[in-house]
Amino acid sequence: MWDMIANLGLGLSVALTLKNVALCFVGCLIGTLVGVLPGVGPVATIAILLPVTLSLDPTGALIMLAGIYYGAQYGGSTTAILVNIPGEATAVVTALDGHAMAKNGQAGLALGLAAIGSFIAGTIATVVIAALGVPMTRMGLLFGPAEYFSLMVMGLVLAVVLSRGSILKAVAMIVVGILLSCIGADMETGRERLTLGLHMLHDGIEFVVLAMGIFGFGEIFKNLADPEARDVVKAKIGRLWPTMRELRENLAPMLRGTALGSILGVLPGNGAILGPFASYAVEKRLSKTPEKFGTGMPAAVAGPESANNAGAQTSFIPLLTLGLPPNAVMALMVGAMMIQGIVPGPQVIERNPELFWGLVASMWIGNLMLVIINLPLIGLWVKLLQVPYRLLFPAIVAFCCIGLFSISNDPAQIVMAVIFGLIGYALWKLDFELAPLALGFVLGRLLEEKLRQALIISDGNPLTFVTSPLSASLLVVAVVALAIAVSPKAQKSREDVFKDA
Amino acid sequence: MTFKITRRGALLTSLAAFAMGSLPATAQDYPSKPITLVVSYAAGGGTDAIARVFAARLETALGGRVIVENRPGAAANIGTEVVADADPDGYTLLIGNQGPMVVNPHLFDLPKDPAETLEPIALIADAALVVVVGPKLPVKTMAEFLEAAKAGELVYGSAGNASASHLGALLLGQKAGIAVKHVPYKGAGPAVNDLVGGHIDFMVTTIPSAIGLVQDGTLTALAVTGPERFSTLPDVPTAIEAGVPDYTASAWYGLVGPKGLPPEISAKLAAATAETLADPEILSKLQNDGAIPSTLAGADFGAFMAAERARWGEVVKAADIKIE
Repeated sequence: MWDMIANLGLGLSVALTLKNVALCFVGCLIGTLVGVLPGVGPVATIAILLPVTLSLDPTGALIMLAGIYYGAQYGGSTTAILVNIPGEATAVVTALDGHAMAKNGQAGLALGLAAIGSFIAGTIATVVIAALGVPMTRMGLLFGPAEYFSLMVMGLVLAVVLSRGSILKAVAMIVVGILLSCIGADMETGRERLTLGLHMLHDGIEFVVLAMGIFGFGEIFKNLADPEARDVVKAKIGRLWPTMRELRENLAPMLRGTALGSILGVLPGNGAILGPFASYAVEKRLSKTPEKFGTGMPAAVAGPESANNAGAQTSFIPLLTLGLPPNAVMALMVGAMMIQGIVPGPQVIERNPELFWGLVASMWIGNLMLVIINLPLIGLWVKLLQVPYRLLFPAIVAFCCIGLFSISNDPAQIVMAVIFGLIGYALWKLDFELAPLALGFVLGRLLEEKLRQALIISDGNPLTFVTSPLSASLLVVAVVALAIAVSPKAQKSREDVFKDA
Repeated sequence: MTFKITRRGALLTSLAAFAMGSLPATAQDYPSKPITLVVSYAAGGGTDAIARVFAARLETALGGRVIVENRPGAAANIGTEVVADADPDGYTLLIGNQGPMVVNPHLFDLPKDPAETLEPIALIADAALVVVVGPKLPVKTMAEFLEAAKAGELVYGSAGNASASHLGALLLGQKAGIAVKHVPYKGAGPAVNDLVGGHIDFMVTTIPSAIGLVQDGTLTALAVTGPERFSTLPDVPTAIEAGVPDYTASAWYGLVGPKGLPPEISAKLAAATAETLADPEILSKLQNDGAIPSTLAGADFGAFMAAERARWGEVVKAADIKIE
């Protein structure tokens, strides 16, 4: 305990030097900006800025790059809430109720709750990294391919719980999502699947292309087809700040989201994406008014946003304690450390304590900065909704196209996103929900990868999923959750929503 | 020679370029506009990191801008095609590594054969791999490893199908006469993670992806796959020393351009590459990445690629992993 306080003290003394505070601020600001711009993600930004960090000392460089990462998570929720474009898989959930709130004239409240939830999550996650980094690393290592597969099965059940309308339609969307994730070269044999012989499909579909297509472009088609609906958004602006009462009501979702996000963030291979989905499902299950989920529930923004930010931060744990990057951004951080001559690995804490603790402490300072940067901006963002749509949508389209092009410097990505936009619009017209599709797509890749890895390791024996206690218990949870979701009571609440709609 | 950009100089250059119109570029005024250095992988990968560090220093050596452009896709074949189709004027170049240059021709029916459509300029660096085991297989030496492999099939993880870590382990199995089972991952990170977690037996991976865990004792390095020991792992023998005859494997990066590059421009680029690689700062960065700078250029680099192509062709054929 005292050790931890002493360590955090050392960290703060490093992170609070004028230079490091300035670097943290620059990182957070750049991060917010790339997060807000649809399609421009932290991975490309950090990769391009990597050579710039050569002239900095290692601690300063990592503080700035980390700031870009969690700053982008912050900014990403702004776009998801205001214009329904989730730039990252984790923001898909935020867009569900967040954008619905914006349509109800509660954009300010949604943005405020997202910012405050993220700050609370960031603060707690900082302490978690400092206090529980090593035990949590061990927990993450328990997840081999079999355990991971079972976790993903549980995630897919969450996708069913997530949906509002017909269960059959939700399952159909999940399956479509999984099928879309199968496009591209087979991971084991390299053989092309469902690529229609097209070069650009060899490596599969990028999530950003799918998300910007079905959500971003789809939303634009929707608004252009139905001008009245979007004028409603324009008319109502509402309060900018959450009241104390609203904050109190959403504190529990924030804390639950933080706990879920922190745990899932440690898992390798992007387990963090499950955090917001899990938080949404939990809040819906605990809510007295589950039927209102999807129509603009504050708890459905506060919880998942907290989970998102907590996961973003705890995904630093495997990087810092083992030198193992759980996602693409962390892989870049490894690159940044290598360039600086620091070998990432378990010895970093002992050999470079000022770097380790400085980075941890800077995350808390960065979260504080993000609140300070973002809260005054809420008023400005909300005003954006008042811009006439005929002026707003070309700007959104332009930014989307820039983002899509920058993925691989290939205009084919834009064409693909437009096709997904049309598909998204058609599905919306037919009353299909898109969030289960997005989740099916994201989880489908991991599901297949882990299934096959587990079966290769076990010589094709499917018992491997139940002989591991961890995997077996995850499967049990999935079955129970599914049973509850399809139970008559849950069905009834679905039908109620249907009547309202 | 260095090239200072003055305002008058820049004006004269641009006037000259304007006056010459479409005349072919000559070595004297090369480079008179920014050079595009294509990387066949997404921003943020290992090749990208090397390319960006290399490009930044190459700018000084050449006295002109070098812009890294990521053209990922189709197992890195898209980048190869982009450069193969470009004008051979020295303004579009490619960072080529062994995957797309010498392995892919054995796996895919490529519309553009890299050996026929690309011109070797210079090999940049050669990075040996390291054979590591984790808690699942607590052996300390290569001899014990081979013993264990004979008792039961070992499972190895790789960074992906046909990656250096896949082929490196395949070749190890073939040279040592042991049966090994492949589990592909998406990138070296998740595979090393499962090695540390005790879910797989071993890996033949890039040195930077494992060195921290080896120094810490979490993983055990049995051998490096280069012809010589690696400076930061002095106690780890080469695979040949450790008793696997004739076994070397490495991941290398080189500079190539479209076929038909004027020899003077090619020579100028090779000289600039040599100057870049002589910079102690670049040297230490390559070393951190587990790589050794190379001196091969031009035809020698071409011969090296041809030999690599033949060698990996045999491995691919023996393992029967061709993609139809």
